[in-house]
Amino acid sequence: MSAALEARPNKSAMARYRHSLWLLTTRDLKVRYSTSALGYFWSILDPLVMAAIYWFVFTQVFSRGVGHQPYIVFLLTALLPWMWFNGSISDATRAFLREAKLIRSTKIPRTIWVGRIVLSKGIEFIVSLPVIAVFVVLSQFTDTPAVVRPEILLLPAAIVLQAILTLGIGFIVAPLVVFFRDMERAVKLTLRFLFYASPIIYSLTNLPPGLHLISAFNPLSGIFALYRSAFFPQELTGHWLDVIVSAIMCFAIFAAGLLVFRRTIRAVLKEI
Amino acid sequence: MAETTTAARSGPVIEVADGGIRFRRNRLSRRNFKDLFAGKTRRTRSSEFWALRHVSFSVAEGEAIGVVGRNGQGKSTLLKLVAEVIFPDEGSVRVNAGVAPLIEITGGFVDDLTVRDNVYLTAGLHGMKRQEIDARFDEIIEFAEIGDFLDTPYKHLSSGMRVRIAFAVISRLEEPILLVDEVLAVGDKAFREKCYRRIEELLAGGRTMFFVSHNEKDLKRFCTRGLYLDKGALVLDSSIEEVLARYNADYGV
Repeated sequence: MSAALEARPNKSAMARYRHSLWLLTTRDLKVRYSTSALGYFWSILDPLVMAAIYWFVFTQVFSRGVGHQPYIVFLLTALLPWMWFNGSISDATRAFLREAKLIRSTKIPRTIWVGRIVLSKGIEFIVSLPVIAVFVVLSQFTDTPAVVRPEILLLPAAIVLQAILTLGIGFIVAPLVVFFRDMERAVKLTLRFLFYASPIIYSLTNLPPGLHLISAFNPLSGIFALYRSAFFPQELTGHWLDVIVSAIMCFAIFAAGLLVFRRTIRAVLKEI
Repeated sequence: MAETTTAARSGPVIEVADGGIRFRRNRLSRRNFKDLFAGKTRRTRSSEFWALRHVSFSVAEGEAIGVVGRNGQGKSTLLKLVAEVIFPDEGSVRVNAGVAPLIEITGGFVDDLTVRDNVYLTAGLHGMKRQEIDARFDEIIEFAEIGDFLDTPYKHLSSGMRVRIAFAVISRLEEPILLVDEVLAVGDKAFREKCYRRIEELLAGGRTMFFVSHNEKDLKRFCTRGLYLDKGALVLDSSIEEVLARYNADYGV
């Protein structure tokens, strides 16, 4: 074997970034699916059980005063994106701590450590979408069939906005947790609060008028409205303002996240 | 690679100018937000110390450098700066070629994945393309003497095997700069010798190397130039013999 310097083609920085991001994302998915027998099933079981609980509570126990029919489709169209958001942010709290050894030995761009979480959770989200399709088909046999609207074309916009938002928050949370371990608990608590503070089990229209303005500043409300408009266009009519405010918030948070990340990363690398 | 090679020939491969980095003395000492976001220029707090300061040197292509010093005098920190896995708080560190870091080499390996998956993952993270890894795969496995365990999860390997496979991958990265940080203390004698022969081959092939060790014999075997670090400062930058002589005079055995 020769040890002479062989020429290795230099890839562009962007190609290397994508390459590393993809490697780590597939690693995440591989680990998750190779260590459990049920694999893919788990990524849909979690939202299904949650949906079943809320469906039971709000349609069987209480008479439903929120959302639209069919309620299970209404729930899932926000619950699945919420799972993506929730999973990404809670994993982002450990983005640096869990991979400390690997981060200490490779010099790939550090934003990848957050990006791969958002991407792998995003892939799980996308592959869980057929669950909604199943319930849409099932609803055709009930009195309130779900109807697919042209607004379903807004789905990519919703996904992109959510990815930007999640990355932005991840860029803030991941480095700060390294210095303030309490942040991990605080983030979990905030996420639980945010679940009820966002229009997931209810609709934006269910909010008392006084809260409309405040809720518009929750970037998740606009994003979920976009997702839901695929079956419930009434979620979008009259709520365009929320969507626009949401979009602005997403980009603002992303910019803030990048700023925090860049300023703190050298201290993070010393700390881990 | 062609353009970087010519660039490296015309100038130094590694250039550290007035480099300095500080750490917190006590992990528990409180941090505040202001420090975290402060730029490079903020003043040093009493709870911090400089692990390295005012370090300047440059390395030409093909040099083999031994880093000498007692424990905790900044040797590993210097290697990490050159590997660009941490950044200096003062001055600059410029590395003009790819680096194969034999630092915490087992760090990138994932317990739950098989040896095969791990080889592709680690080599890939260090910038190798799939076809390049395919071409080197058999050689890597043969070097690590681990052929029977290709589909074994990494966590089931012995610690010696883990280091062997990690060394085999990193030393096949074909990068122009090699950083070695006492990683080989683990393996058995025969494998250590095999690793040393690989390092010699790489040096003969024109690699630049940074070598941290407490073993005088190894330092003399590989290195031509020495850097002597003491209390975070670069005390002497000279031939390896002179550096070792000075080190022994200061901390005689």
